[in-house]
Order: sequence, then C-alpha cells, then structure tokens
Amino acid sequence: MKNFFLILVWLTILSGFSQAFAQEWGEIETAAEGQTVYFNAWGGSQPINEYIAWASGVVQKRYGVRVIHVKAADIGDVVSRILVEKAAKKQKDGSVDLMWINGENFRAMKENKLLYGPFSQKLPNYHLVDTKNKKTVLYDFTIPVDNMESPWGMAQLVFLYDTKPVSEHPKSMLDLLVFARKNPGRFTYPALPGFHGTTFIKQALFELISDSKALNRPIRQSEFEKNTRPLWEYLDALHPFLWRKGKVFPSSASQMLSLLNDNEIFISISFNPNSASNAIENGELPNTVRTYIHTSGTIGNTHFVGIPFNSSARQGAMVFANFLLSPEAQARKADPEIWGDPTVLDTQKLAGREKALFDAVPKGIATLTPKELGQTLPEPHVSWVQALEKEWLKRYSK
Amino acid sequence: MRLSRQGTSRIFPVFVIGLFGITILSGLLGTLLPSMNYLPVIGHKHVSLSVWFDFFSYPGIKTSILVTLFSGLTASFGVVIFVFLFITFSYGNALWKIFEKILSPVLSIPHAAFAIGFGFLIAPSGWLIRMVSPGLTGFVYPPDWSILNDPAGISLAIALVIKEFPFLIMVTMGALGQLDIEKTLLAGRALGYKKEQIWLKILIPRLYPHLRLSIFAIIAYSLSVVDMAIILGPSSPPPLAVLILKWFNDPDMSFKLIAAAGSLFLFFVVVLSVLLVYLIERSACFVSESWITNGKRHSFSARFKSIVFFMGVCIIGFTMVSSVVLVVWSLTWQWRFPDFLPAVWTLKFWAKGLVSSFDPVMTTMFTGMAAAFIGLILTIGCLEHDVNFQTNHIMQGKAQNNNKTLYYFLYLPLLVPQITFMAGIQLLLVIMKIDGYWIALMWSHLLFVLPYMFISLSATYRAFDRRLTDQAMLLGRPYMIVLFRIKLPMLLRPILFSFAIGFAVSVAQYIPTILVGAGRFSTITTQVVNIASGSDRRAIAVYALIQQFLPMIIYALAIILPKILYYNKKGMQV
Amino acid sequence: MSLELEKVSILKFGSAIFDPVNIVIKPGEITTVMGPSGCGKSTLLSAVSGSLDAVFTLKGSIRLYGRELLTLPMEERNIGMLFQDDLLFPHMNIGSNLAFAIKEKTSGEQRKTMIEKALKTAGLEGFEKRDPSSLSGGQKARVSLLRSLLADPSALLMDEPFSKLDQSLKAKIRDFVFSQIKRMNIPALLVTHDPLDCPEGGMILNLNNKEG
Repeated sequence: MKNFFLILVWLTILSGFSQAFAQEWGEIETAAEGQTVYFNAWGGSQPINEYIAWASGVVQKRYGVRVIHVKAADIGDVVSRILVEKAAKKQKDGSVDLMWINGENFRAMKENKLLYGPFSQKLPNYHLVDTKNKKTVLYDFTIPVDNMESPWGMAQLVFLYDTKPVSEHPKSMLDLLVFARKNPGRFTYPALPGFHGTTFIKQALFELISDSKALNRPIRQSEFEKNTRPLWEYLDALHPFLWRKGKVFPSSASQMLSLLNDNEIFISISFNPNSASNAIENGELPNTVRTYIHTSGTIGNTHFVGIPFNSSARQGAMVFANFLLSPEAQARKADPEIWGDPTVLDTQKLAGREKALFDAVPKGIATLTPKELGQTLPEPHVSWVQALEKEWLKRYSK
Repeated sequence: MRLSRQGTSRIFPVFVIGLFGITILSGLLGTLLPSMNYLPVIGHKHVSLSVWFDFFSYPGIKTSILVTLFSGLTASFGVVIFVFLFITFSYGNALWKIFEKILSPVLSIPHAAFAIGFGFLIAPSGWLIRMVSPGLTGFVYPPDWSILNDPAGISLAIALVIKEFPFLIMVTMGALGQLDIEKTLLAGRALGYKKEQIWLKILIPRLYPHLRLSIFAIIAYSLSVVDMAIILGPSSPPPLAVLILKWFNDPDMSFKLIAAAGSLFLFFVVVLSVLLVYLIERSACFVSESWITNGKRHSFSARFKSIVFFMGVCIIGFTMVSSVVLVVWSLTWQWRFPDFLPAVWTLKFWAKGLVSSFDPVMTTMFTGMAAAFIGLILTIGCLEHDVNFQTNHIMQGKAQNNNKTLYYFLYLPLLVPQITFMAGIQLLLVIMKIDGYWIALMWSHLLFVLPYMFISLSATYRAFDRRLTDQAMLLGRPYMIVLFRIKLPMLLRPILFSFAIGFAVSVAQYIPTILVGAGRFSTITTQVVNIASGSDRRAIAVYALIQQFLPMIIYALAIILPKILYYNKKGMQV
Repeated sequence: MSLELEKVSILKFGSAIFDPVNIVIKPGEITTVMGPSGCGKSTLLSAVSGSLDAVFTLKGSIRLYGRELLTLPMEERNIGMLFQDDLLFPHMNIGSNLAFAIKEKTSGEQRKTMIEKALKTAGLEGFEKRDPSSLSGGQKARVSLLRSLLADPSALLMDEPFSKLDQSLKAKIRDFVFSQIKRMNIPALLVTHDPLDCPEGGMILNLNNKEG
C-alpha cells in the first residue's frame, strides 16, 4: 500500500513534468511562428549552403519560421560582432539569432557570456542524440557544453590520398615522414592558427607524446617543453620535405582539396570523413582518391549551433535547431550527394521509417565504414590549442 | 540671389566634411582606445601599453611588417615608375589608344575577382604552366615552386601593379587634359628635344602634382589590402592587414586589443610611407633641377622602348587572360593537371550560381546605385560650389576659396587603412543602434565611393568652359535651369563615367560590408570571399565572373548612353 | 543715359589694372574699347556682365537705364554677350539653342515664329533641326548673335567677336551684327584689338595697362 502510494506520487510528478515539458515546447513553437531567424554559418561550401536553404524552406512551411542564412567567411567575425553588441549594451535585437559554432569560438562565447543559456534539452529531438558513444556532443574541446549549444554534426580527422601516384598510404605520423622523404613536396598541412592545421598538430602530438594523459588536463607550463619536444623534432624533420619546403602553408583544408586535385600534393587532410566521396561526387576530386586514418585512431569532435544572448528570435532559433536534429534532416545531411556530414543521432534509437531514412543513405566510394573509422580520439584540453598555436607560430612563421 | 546660392551650395562641402571627418575620427578613436588596453566589455579597463608589447612580440610580426612594406612599396613604386615610363614612351601610340579603349572594363574588374583569376593563372599548377606541360616542361605533376603566395609577397606586388596601373592611367588621362601637351611637345621639339625627353624633363614634373593624392591612395591601398593579400599573399606570416583581420576574428577576445594596436601601427606605416614618398618627391625636384636644365638631348635606345611596350602588353594580357581562365573554370566539371582544358565541361555551376546569387546581386545593385547616385549629387554639389567661388559676382574680392580643407577630408578614407577605422565605426554604429540597417551600409560605401568619383570627375568638371554657362545665364535663364539644361547634359559622359566608377567601388567593398552590414546584407563581393574560403574553384569562378560583370554593365551604359542620346550631335562626340 | 560706367576700376591684389573708366553709351551706339592684349579689356567686360573672376576686386558703378548692375546676379542683368567663340550649346540643335534664349512666358507657337523669323534675317531659313557642328564659322557666329538678341537684352557686350572669323567673312558678319544692334536700338560695348572692327562714328576708348 505504501509502495503503491509512492508509485502514485512518482507517476503524478513524472506526468506533470512531461506535460510541463510538452506544454513549454508548444509555447515555444507558438512564439516562434512569424519570427525571422538570422542563422550565421560558414558560407564557403555550395552543398552546405544548399542544404541550409532546404532546411530553411521546410521550417518556413511547417512552423512559419523564416530562416535567413547569413553566410560568413569566418565565424570568428560573427563572434566579434556579438561582442561589439555587448559592448554597446545591445541586450536585444542582436544581429545573430543562431550560429554554427564549436571549439574555440564556443569557449570564447561561453567565457564572455555571449550565449543565451541552456536550451538544447528543451528540444524534443535532443533525446535522439547519441550522448553515450559520442562523448564530444557533451564536451566541446573538453569544455562542458552545458546545453548551451545543440549538436549538429560529427567530424573526424581523416587523410585523403590519390591512389594513382600513391600505392600504399601511411598508417602513422612516422609513416607520413617516410612518405614525405620519398615524395618531397607532395604533402602539407594548413597554416596555424587555422582550425585544420591545429588539429593536424594535435593529432601528431597524440601519436608522439609519451604521456598522452597529459593532454586531457589543462596545460602545465612546466611540462609543456618536455611533452611537446618530440612534436617539434618531428616537425623539424618533416618540414623540409613538405610542399614549398615548409616555407608556405595553405590557408585552409579546403584549399588543399584543390591542391590534391591538381596533384600539387598527393595526401591531404579533412575533418569530414565523407569529404573525399563528396568531392568525387561533385567533380572536385578524381575518383582515384580514397580515405584513410592512422592506426592509433584520429581526433574527432562535434559541431553545434548556439543562440547568442541578445537574440530576439530565440524561439524561432530553437525550432530550427530542433528541426536540424530531426532524423529527416540528419539523414539528408549524411547523404554524400547532399552534404555527407555524419549524424549526431544514435540511429539505434530510431525505428521504422526514421531508421529506413538512414539505411537509405548511400555510402560513398571513398568513405570508410564506421568500424574502420573506429572510436575517435578526444580533443586535448582546450588550453593546449593556444599554447600549441603560439609555439608553432614562433617556430615556423618567421 | 547669387549670394544665397553660394550660401546654399555650402551645404555640400560642410556635409562632406562632417560625413568624412566625424566618421573617420570616431572610427580612429574606436581603435585607439582598445590599443591602449581599454575595452571594458572584455574586462580591460586599465590603460596601459602592454598591448603594444604583445603586438611587437607576436611571433613573426617582424616578417609580417617587412612583407607588408616590401610588397606595398614595391607595388606603389612599380606602378608609378611604370606609368611614367609608359606615358613617356607610349603617349599617343597604338598601345596608348588601346588602353584608352579598354580602360573602363579593365578598371571595373574588382580586385578580388582579378586576384582569383591571376592566381589560377600563375600557380605552379596554373593555366600558364598547363599551357606548356608536359610538352615543353616534361611536368606530369606540377613543379614545387613558390610562385603563388610566395613568402616575400612578390606575386602580390605584381598583381597590385597590374591592378593599380589602369587606375593611375585613368587619373593621368584626366590630368593630361589640363596640360597643353601638344603645344609643349611642339615647343620642346623646336628646341631639338626628343619627345621622350620633353616628357621626362617638362611634362612629368608638371603632371606629378595632379597625381600626388592618387599616388598616396595607391600607397595606402597597397599597404593595407586585404582581399588580394588573402588570395595571393604569403600565409605564414601573412601581410599585416591580413594578420589584423585574423586577430579581429580570433575567438580569443584579447586579440581584439592586439588587432587595434596592429591597425594603428598599419596606419602609422602608411603615414610614414607617404611622408617618405613626399620626401623623395621634394629631393627629386631638387636633384633633378640641374638635370632638367643641363641641355643634354640624349636619346633612349630602341630596346628600352620595346621593353616598356612589352610590359604594357603584359599588363593588358594578364588582365584579359585572368578573366578568360575564370570563364574556363566556371564551365569546368573536372580539370586536372596538366590538361590544357577541362576534361569534362558543365553549365551546372552557372545554373546554380545564377540562382543563388540573385539576392546578393540585387543588394549589390541597389546599394551601388544608391551610393553612386548620392555620391554624384555630393560630387557635383561640391564642385559647383567650388566653381561658383571662383567667380566673383557681388561680393567682389571677399570670396575666398577656402575649400582646400575639404579635399583632405575627402581623401581620408583612401589614406587611412580601411581596417583601422571601420572596426571603430562598427562599434559606433552598434552604440547608435543603426548597425545592420541598409542606410548605414550604403553610407559606409559612400565613404569610399565619393573620393573616387571626385577624383574621376573633378578635372573635367573644372575644365568646363565657364563662358558657356555665363552665356546661358546672360540669356536670362536661372542658375538651376542653366545647370540642368546646359552644364550637366554637356558633361553627361564624364558624369556617367564617374557614376560607373562609384558603382564599381561600391561593388568591390568587402570590409565595410561585413562590419557595418552586421552580416545581414550579403553582396556579390561578400559571396565571392565566402565561396573563395571554400575549395570549389568552379563555383568561385562563377561568382567572381558575376562580380566582374556587374560594374561592367554600368560602364557599358556609361559609354553607350551618351552615344545614343547625342547620336546626331557631332560636337558631343569624343 | 543708357549704359553708364562710372569710375570703374578693377583691382588685382590691391592694385588697379587700369585707370578708372568712365563711359556713357546711348541706345543704338557702339563704344569700342581698345588696347593691347592683357590690358584688362575682357576683364572690364566680365565686370559688366557679372562673371568677374574671384581674384579681382571691382570699384565704381555700372548702371543700365539707371539701374545699378553690380548688386545683380548675371542672369538678372539682362545683358547679352558675344565671345570670339560662338559658344553654341553642342548638345542642342539650332532651334533649341535659340529657343533657350526666349523668355519662358512666350507661347510655343510664338517661339516657333520668332525663331523662324530670326533665322530668316540671317539667311538661315530652315536651320532649326541642324546640329551646330554642321554649320560654317560664319553661320555659327550669326546664330550666336541671334540667340543673344532673342533674349531681348537691354545691352550687348562683345569680346573680340570677329577675331576668329575668316577675313572674307569678317566684314559681312560685322555689318550684320551692327545692323542688328541698330535695329534693336540697344547700347553696345565692343572689345577688340583690331582697329578695323570699330564701327564708323562710334566712341573709342583706349585702355592703358597700368602694369605695362
């Protein structure tokens, strides 16, 4: 009897809770109708721009939310703008309602209190996110996400190589050095402090550091020299055999795609496991290009969408963020012919039609299977980024 | 009546001084404070010089400054010297006439579009090497040469010379109209001097004062260029202006301070360089005096002449072929080294590009037209005020031409690096809560549109035969009627030309558009830079060509319209 | 008693460029100002017309039918002027050039007949639609005079109006101009350095250059 009573109490609380939850979301949807959401996102890729245009069209039709894609060349300048707005005490009607963000930009926004606050758990589709196997949806560059951004897609460092000039691909950083010695000038990586270049350096550090646990904690200046010495020795050995003898670095990983197509380089890097297939599909790369990763595994992370503190269309932004998490939108995004960006959802949680959507996504000819990709290595603690970038600039950007 | 007209027309210079002075000074203030470690919003409230220390100890900063100086000054000196050589040896010849013809389309090519095409051309895997590979070179894979993005910034400097050359030639052509070229040449020849010597000894020293401000603007531009430097300049470290933009965009907010210090330093570099050039000019005057009057009449070797001719042809050639390679890339599906032409062609990127660029194109057209139109009203207003002041109607002797200060303000936006004051302006706009409004965007474009329109129109406008308007007024018609029925219609060609230049300048604006437009307005140029941050050369080419096409339409109209309107008026044809 | 210049002197940087001028020109009369080039003849004319350059300072009084001109802007002085060049507006045809001079209140029909009549007096019937640049020098000079006269001026100023014409044309045009002035019965001031240009019986004023 006592038990029954307890259960009753629990049930009442629970149902009240979920009811409140549903009610709250209903209110958000109502408030969102008619809002215009300025979605600031990198605009450097035609397929991505087209995908965003498609998603905007859907939410306009279904929820009456108008989404305008503000194409940025660098999301950093969007962060700058929000900071300027804060400086000017512009507490509402900010120019940005939703932005594509992760890593350092997220840290900067969080530290400077430029984010609206926790919201992702309010999104009905959030429960489909794979928080168990994809730890990076909770820790963005080891910084707790605290629900202040909503996961959008997954990324993992992969290497692309042209099988025509390269018969056997390297399997580790040390292999890569051997390859570079044999093929001088046919490999490079993007300049730091760009995101892709930094990721390559972090990967190298993972493979070369003796105490890899040091990477998970905030950096200690006293250990930095010792921990990174193998990395700099490696780079010192590698650079003379790089493209342009390591005197010039490409400005981004995207630029390296063109270099790979021109055979200026034979091996390139990307943060999207599907990028080779996408580019082949799109005519940007020849179909002789394939993907590989190092046997030690490679660094992976998640990219998100976040709402700035002064957005006046945050309900609309949430409705759009929720749609971006829907199986429909995530499956479409994963299709190499559309964009080819891996999903953040746990497809095991899906059933029926929704699961079928993912099963129907074709696997590109140059894409590795999830098994081949394996478990991703976590990003080192965010404090490493700046220290590595600074040291790299000091050594190689003179 | 006339008294009040002069009073009314004073609105124009006052407005312009206000617009330019206040904007730029407040923009500079918005940069100065953070450079002194004052940016309360990120918790920096104590004024100190620590930011400057951080700036000067940033890794690679010395190289970055040196690269900036090297590429910027080489380009500026290169273009000035070459323009002088070109006039000296080519004035009036066939190549000169070709330049006169193609000047407008060449000038209208936006810097970013040209840089992209130029890069596609000269890269080790670019079209030039594809043309001769593997046949002549044996290259199956592209050579590992540092041609593009070279550490010293040579490719950037060359591209700047090619791009600035037509601009300086345009200013020169305007100024030549004010000098008695033919008479001086005749008189000099009668004294036994060769044409080239008359140019070098007599005409160029007289021409220089007319070009001085434009040369300063070229120096400032070359030292602070961002879009071309991103595409063609070195990357590690990049030129100062690019580095500053990176700092501004760095997620670590404390870099804002360094960026502010850096942009002030860049301004300082520009001021010093301008001073340097001014000193060179003064000492050249001093030194050359004896050379000018030494009476020597030596002639130049034909070889020298043909080198100058060849370089002129190169400039035309590179500009044209840079556009052609864009056309080829825009039609490409798959094109690998060393194929001379794409293996698979497609129209897909045009189809997509035209659809997705529709809105940005409309924004660009609308903003450019509005800025150029207002720019035109202000330019004509100021010039008319000026001309009126030179005529003494009633207040005999009391009228003073005190408009000199106007021109310093007017040219400020060309002399202060964009990045130095635009970031401060952004702050100002946000405080006034007018960021992200179209009117603010248009106004920021106007800052750059107006000086160029003024440069292009003032010489012709001032040279207008005043007796014609006097005559019209003596016929008893009011001033406004004379202005709108006689003077402006007669100046239609240069006015439309100046409009086209203003429009082209507006189209090319990148930094003002992203900073002032709050990202809410994407123009074709922000689209080009965005898409260029990706990898897809086919899409990049399509956008760059659309960007190139817009100003060209307006230039074409500026040329065709007077021809149609005055088809039967021989006196109006040039 | 019609066009009077009283103690008119023009100063440049504080010093007078010629001795003070006193002239009275009656309607239908033509007074000729002569002097070497650079003596300030044209400057004197621009003082009368109201287009004096800002570097000059003007002293004295200029009256037209008793009305002080110096306080009036150019377009209200009601003075016609002929230059060495015809100064026809190149973007208008002959008819429009002439129409531009006719007072606004005149009706369209009236304008047309006025222009027709004017062209006829100069032997240029049917020239309305012609492009100015298709005319000969003499024809242009005549149209230019017609245009000035159609504005119905109270006085006419002439700044070496015949100096650019062919020798053979000069006399013809001169006679035409002078006869028109007579016909309109307005005072005229002619500046020239060619003694042949002076009308018979007209006053002649020699302007002596102070600097020279």
